[in-house]
Amino acid sequence: MSRPRVFLVDDHELIRSGIKAEIADDVDIVGEADEVIAAVEMIGERRPEVVLLDVHIPGGGGVRVLRDVRTTCDDVRFLALSVSDAAEDVIAVVRAGASGYVTKNISGSDLIDAIWRIRAGDAVFSPRLAGFVLEAFAGGPGSAAHEVTSDPDLDQLTARERQVLRLIARGYAYKHVAAELGISPRTVESHVSSVLRKLQLSNRYELSHWASARRLS
Amino acid sequence: MSDAVLGGVCAGLACRLGVRSRTIRVLAALASLVFGVGLVAYVVLWIGLRRDGEEASIARRIESQRHASMLVGWSLVIVLVLLLALSRLNLYALSPYAWSLLLSGVALVAIWRGASPAERAHLEGVLQTVPVLGVASVRGWRAVAWRVAPATILIVVGLHILSQVGGVWGGAVPAIIGALVLVVGVLIMLAPWWLQNVRDLSRERRDRVRAEERAALVAHVHDSVLQTLTLVERSADNAVEVRRLVRAQERALRAWLFAPDLIGVVTSDTGSFADQLRALQDDVERDYGVRVELVVVGDCPGDQRIGDLVAAAREAVVNAAKWSTADEISLYGEVEAHVISVYVRDTGVGFDTDTVASDRQGIAHSIHERLSQIGGSSRVRSTPGEGTEVALTLSREVVAT
Repeated sequence: MSRPRVFLVDDHELIRSGIKAEIADDVDIVGEADEVIAAVEMIGERRPEVVLLDVHIPGGGGVRVLRDVRTTCDDVRFLALSVSDAAEDVIAVVRAGASGYVTKNISGSDLIDAIWRIRAGDAVFSPRLAGFVLEAFAGGPGSAAHEVTSDPDLDQLTARERQVLRLIARGYAYKHVAAELGISPRTVESHVSSVLRKLQLSNRYELSHWASARRLS
Repeated sequence: MSDAVLGGVCAGLACRLGVRSRTIRVLAALASLVFGVGLVAYVVLWIGLRRDGEEASIARRIESQRHASMLVGWSLVIVLVLLLALSRLNLYALSPYAWSLLLSGVALVAIWRGASPAERAHLEGVLQTVPVLGVASVRGWRAVAWRVAPATILIVVGLHILSQVGGVWGGAVPAIIGALVLVVGVLIMLAPWWLQNVRDLSRERRDRVRAEERAALVAHVHDSVLQTLTLVERSADNAVEVRRLVRAQERALRAWLFAPDLIGVVTSDTGSFADQLRALQDDVERDYGVRVELVVVGDCPGDQRIGDLVAAAREAVVNAAKWSTADEISLYGEVEAHVISVYVRDTGVGFDTDTVASDRQGIAHSIHERLSQIGGSSRVRSTPGEGTEVALTLSREVVAT
């Protein structure tokens, strides 16, 4: 398989050069941008396979980039990177279409691994994102009762998905999750992808009103 | 004309006569006391005289507008009828000033209709600062009318009742009622103005407090980051120390950014389950220079058993930090409806649970004992070369009782 074509969006020069230094040997970096409009334009031109997207960038944030790019080319996949721990930011980019979320202190090899997986169409969940999702989907279907959803299955996780997320939150890598549950890594991937889909499509109150829900808890 | 207070009549006269405008104003006020003569003279001059820099007086302008002259004419008729009716009813208390006041009222209507745009802007500015009309006029004249009309009626009725005291009724009751009615009328009249003032004041105060807080925070952050940078530079050769400093600074910044309320409040012994785990994370990262990746799902208030659970978790995390050689430890806490669980995991050297060195076994024992004392359970899994995981669970039913 050829090396993934990667585009970097981050407003901090230092972070961009740091990330480049760590991954340049294993991926092709086709461009970088430090603000929304330039990012949207260049991604449209250069058609990378994976965009590493900072959640907080000037001009509307990562969410803006996602929305604008999605309208023109939907074959580009996004991995959100952030130093922020705020659930509402993370959930917002994932719901806008990012395929995963990792924190910026991720090691180089883990990041490269994540890029490859994103390119293959899989979802990448950091322990923290797994924790946010578990929290958002806690309380069973009852807490979403007043929401109008076309598909009620979207509003809750299966027991298996919950198990997988819990192991990821506990710090297990996908292959260890698979070993722990006695299933194939491929199956783990598909569970995580299914969770990602629910995360993006569900109308659960906790997801759409994450900020206020956070403050209450 | 820049000296104008209302219509600029006094200022204009003063300018023409070569005296100070204040002199004219005092004279006008005194003249107003004599059956409102000054007032009437003022509005007549206001209407009749040309405003400085404009080519027509208000009277001219009204003449030229059919609609405006109709309006003024009709108001004059209505007021005259009203005045005649009042004098028929022998309400003498009103009569000496009623004529001048009501006629001035008509004149003001005329002034408003006939004013040039510049003058109207000036008058609107004046209105904003008048207590009764100011604030409400922003919301429209209807709102002013709804407030001023009942307030005026209450004030007039109150005055009327008070004027009867000692007359036919006598006694204290009418005096009290009259005073009350009067006070209520005045309150209704002035309330919005007063409220607005209070609101402005408290908003100002709030903004100032916010700005001060922000400034203090910024100063604090700058100071702390600069100090850390100095320390990092000085210990540039010591990787462990640099990492420790950087992480400590990172945590401090995060705390200021995301949970400023908790600074200095939460220690490992107070706060909710999640707060205690965060404190544990901070302590271990600071003391051992490893990263503790903390994920908490759900939360509950702290109590004795929670404190013991977190203390056991702390032992497990410290143990991993000391022995595992992993540079990251995963700490996961979850509060469910019936169970609270904590998992401490590292991907370090691990050990054989059957043949461990006695000191580590001791820790496993101590964790186990702590948990069984509070009715929980613990489990240690470790594989040499792959890592260790300590699982702690505590049922919540016992917490509740």
